[in-house]
Amino acid sequence: MLRRHPWILPASFLALPLLVYITFVILPTLNSLIYSFTDWVGYGADFNFVGLANFEKIFTDRLFSNAIKNTAIWLALAMTAPTLLGLALALALQGKRKINTIYKSLFYLPICLSPIIIGIIWVWLYSPKLGIVNLFLRSIGLDQLATAWLANPNTALFAVFVAWAWQQTGLNMVIFLAGLTSVPTPLVEAAKVDGANYRQTLWNVIIPMLRPATVVVLALTAISALKSFEIIWVMTMGGPFNKSDTLAVFMYSESFRKFKMGYGSSAAVILFLMTLVIIVLYFRQTAAAEELYD
Amino acid sequence: MTNSRALNWQRLLSTALLYFVLTILLILFMVPVYGAIVTAFKSQAEVSAGGYWTIPTNFASDNFARVMDSKDGNLGLYLQNSLLLTIPASIFSIALGTLAGYGLGKYKFKGDGLLFILIVAGMFLPPQIALIPVFRLMNDIGLYDTLWAVIIIHTAFGIPICTLVMRNFFQVVPNALREAALIDGANEYSIFFRIMLPLTLPALAVLATLQFTWIWNDFLWPFILTQRAESRTVMVGILNLTGQYTVDWGGQAAASLIGSLPTLFIFVFFQRYFIRGLTLGAVKG
Repeated sequence: MLRRHPWILPASFLALPLLVYITFVILPTLNSLIYSFTDWVGYGADFNFVGLANFEKIFTDRLFSNAIKNTAIWLALAMTAPTLLGLALALALQGKRKINTIYKSLFYLPICLSPIIIGIIWVWLYSPKLGIVNLFLRSIGLDQLATAWLANPNTALFAVFVAWAWQQTGLNMVIFLAGLTSVPTPLVEAAKVDGANYRQTLWNVIIPMLRPATVVVLALTAISALKSFEIIWVMTMGGPFNKSDTLAVFMYSESFRKFKMGYGSSAAVILFLMTLVIIVLYFRQTAAAEELYD
Repeated sequence: MTNSRALNWQRLLSTALLYFVLTILLILFMVPVYGAIVTAFKSQAEVSAGGYWTIPTNFASDNFARVMDSKDGNLGLYLQNSLLLTIPASIFSIALGTLAGYGLGKYKFKGDGLLFILIVAGMFLPPQIALIPVFRLMNDIGLYDTLWAVIIIHTAFGIPICTLVMRNFFQVVPNALREAALIDGANEYSIFFRIMLPLTLPALAVLATLQFTWIWNDFLWPFILTQRAESRTVMVGILNLTGQYTVDWGGQAAASLIGSLPTLFIFVFFQRYFIRGLTLGAVKG
């Protein structure tokens, strides 16, 4: 067992990392809160405290409610499609076959690419004339479905989402595969001996055992969906007509393109609060899971 | 007999069907990668004529030379900047995370649990919440538009994941090791440097692959904190190039491939560490 130590020992190890962490992570976070109550424009030291004016304004801003709507769609898609596909791939590839190792590696591959690169590649895929998506649709006679995916207001958000999901699926598969290694083989064997077929085993044994992994996947997906900015910026910059403008993009545009830093801060604070809800739920769930399995 | 043979056939058939579906999926999944590779070796004329998915007729395109040329794409400079940024930021974040992880993993003190949660929660923080204040802070201390601004911020934002992984690692190092050394008269710091640090090599390898990949691929921080070409990183540079080479897909593809080489290298040769890092950070969180 560990004894309690005089505080000076742990403090000597923690002082430097904490100093850096507090100065460049904690204090800026708190500063954002302060800026969200000001009218700062991004240069100079001058700003006035305007109370809740930014928040009053933001809730009547049509661009903001548009961004919230797009963020909600993005979140709903993010929590479902890549989660289910990641789970299916993990279940299909969990065995020790040599071929599985190769398949897994290839499905992982997008994880190591930058969202910038992924965005650039997918822009070509969606190109109206030369892009492979439209070439394919035309080659099977579905010409009427071919469209300028990123310039069409009805498809832009979904088209960007598919590119994002391309990376996220592999990441989810990694976490589900790790979760699957904690499903005890005897339990699965026992279900088989009792005459359960694969579907029954899956629903009654494997899926319930994957609960902790699923919580992790959903929490991480939700958080990375909320903050995803780069891939949208590369592919559409939030357009056309703000149709793919999410909260993260809105925050950037208001702050760094329109130089309304105070106003942008209030958007950042709202984004932060949404993330905080997920973090709190997540920590509660994992604490509950630990109690359950201890 | 016949029954079990039928069952075997059924099993074989369903396995075959499974791999058939998996292979179709994999081919779809690899289309973007394939497209990027073949496009990088094509001239613009060939891209417009043959579309995007044909095999290049002659691999002798000047795309790579063009994007690397300091008078054209200037990617050489951006690659150098990215290395000068990614390597120190990875080292600093891992070093600070190791210190914090040791302090939290090997010592018990009042409030240690709360402190741990406070640090780990930083892993989930959206960068947007710190964007404006960090932008201002870097301006105020004169580091705006230097690589140091980005190095510092990646060091700070890397502390949570590094602390988490190192704390979990140190917690399972047997205390007997430390106590034996204490009895032999070693002090706490020489224990840390001489006994504990050499043990941490596998965990350090895991973190090195993770941190290098994240920092190399990051776009938002250098985008906000730098401006001139002299301090531009590779991802910001590549995005600028797509503006310069709007119709030149070959150039864009070549730049994308070059920019992905370092992380692809890690992915191919250190995949075990990289994947372990992803799960350590996620499941144990």
